[in-house]
Amino acid sequence: MVSSTFLFCDLVPGERLRWIAETLRASKGTGGVPLSMTAFLTGDALYSLVDARTRDSWRTLADRDGVRVIADGDELGLHGLRDLVASGSPWVTVAGSQDEAPFWQSLVSSLVSEWKGTQKAGFLLCDGPYMSRVTVYMVRFLSAVQAGGFSPELYTYLDGVHALHNGQRPSEFENIGRAIAGISASSVQAGRDPWFAACSRCATARGYYQMNPGTGFCEPASAIEEIAIRPLKEILSRFSGNLPVVSSASGDLVPDGWGGDRVPRLLVFIAHPPYCAEWTFGGLSLALAAAMGGIPATVIFIEDGVYALHGNHEVPAHDKVFNVQEMIAVTTDVPDLEYFVHGPSLDDRGIDLLPGFPTIPRLRNEDLARVFLKSESDGTASRLIFF
Amino acid sequence: MTEPMDFTELTCTNLMIKLKILLNKLPQGDRVAFFATREQVDNTCSPFSGQGYQVSWDQAAENRYLVRLGK
Repeated sequence: MVSSTFLFCDLVPGERLRWIAETLRASKGTGGVPLSMTAFLTGDALYSLVDARTRDSWRTLADRDGVRVIADGDELGLHGLRDLVASGSPWVTVAGSQDEAPFWQSLVSSLVSEWKGTQKAGFLLCDGPYMSRVTVYMVRFLSAVQAGGFSPELYTYLDGVHALHNGQRPSEFENIGRAIAGISASSVQAGRDPWFAACSRCATARGYYQMNPGTGFCEPASAIEEIAIRPLKEILSRFSGNLPVVSSASGDLVPDGWGGDRVPRLLVFIAHPPYCAEWTFGGLSLALAAAMGGIPATVIFIEDGVYALHGNHEVPAHDKVFNVQEMIAVTTDVPDLEYFVHGPSLDDRGIDLLPGFPTIPRLRNEDLARVFLKSESDGTASRLIFF
Repeated sequence: MTEPMDFTELTCTNLMIKLKILLNKLPQGDRVAFFATREQVDNTCSPFSGQGYQVSWDQAAENRYLVRLGK
């Protein structure tokens, strides 16, 4: 048996639900082990429970043995969906903060029951405060981790590093900087060991880590004390440990009998187009750094992420951006790193791989099931993170 | 003469990717020159010598090294 917990905070495209459902179905056909899956939905992901394009997919998934769908009751209320979901979708468990099993506590319980023996749980934050409510969900999650008797860990990456800006003073929103400081303080007071860090590359790019010309070394600038600025490889060294890590779209696969004595695998799903936002570069950098740090990493280009492999990308002479195709081409030989592309995502868009590009194996959903459950055969847990 | 590129703010992983891309395009016998930090020199630049490339560096300032990498 493999247990799996997903957290979705952002919009869930119908395409994603289709491939997840087909992959689950295929896992049975390919002799895969039984999978027990709990999907936790909050934020914009809740719309997928009522949207005509996705609600039937969720219902079909929830009808399967071992699959549970849990919706954040407070967020359902905020989004005006609580009555609709509570009355029209009996297959959804609605968990509000006043319910017997509150949403965030239930998520933490589900995760720590899989990652047996863990003393901590982490959140990979890639979104900045105020523009994105994901930062609020991060606070809810880490508060539940702390309240549950575990040490909270926060890894801020990409725009997530904006959470470390000092002097935050939102007039209408929850103060994220202050919330982080509060979680850190209460955690230390409770005798736990919080670990909050920001990626140094991302922090440097955004002005929070500036060169001191006198020493030649970078120093934090305008940053709260509770978040240390660290190289990505140091942040990723935390991923070698026995702890659950969630993000705004994430999951895990943990086989029964998991003892936390092996390095968990990392599955990075590149689901955004390559250049308009930093998702693709961020996902690739994270996977590469993980692999170079001894964490087996698999990158799967899926949904709109397949555009990274289509056409011949040419960076204009005056532009400064990594050509993701060059980045992929020169890293196919990195040990512990493998690339795949999701065939149905290419087919749905009517596109194909760039001819002559280094061979990236194409996965059907049944192949994806094998990749998913590969960990089961060797008793290793996997982390799934969507970029 | 082209000014050496400044790679001091790249992570070690991204510097490795950047160098592999540059070396792919570099004609045999040529070399690239760039500035790197001590950590980058130790973690990323030095290992290229084990892969058949010529690597050398000179300190230009505190924690700033001019690295030359050729094939």
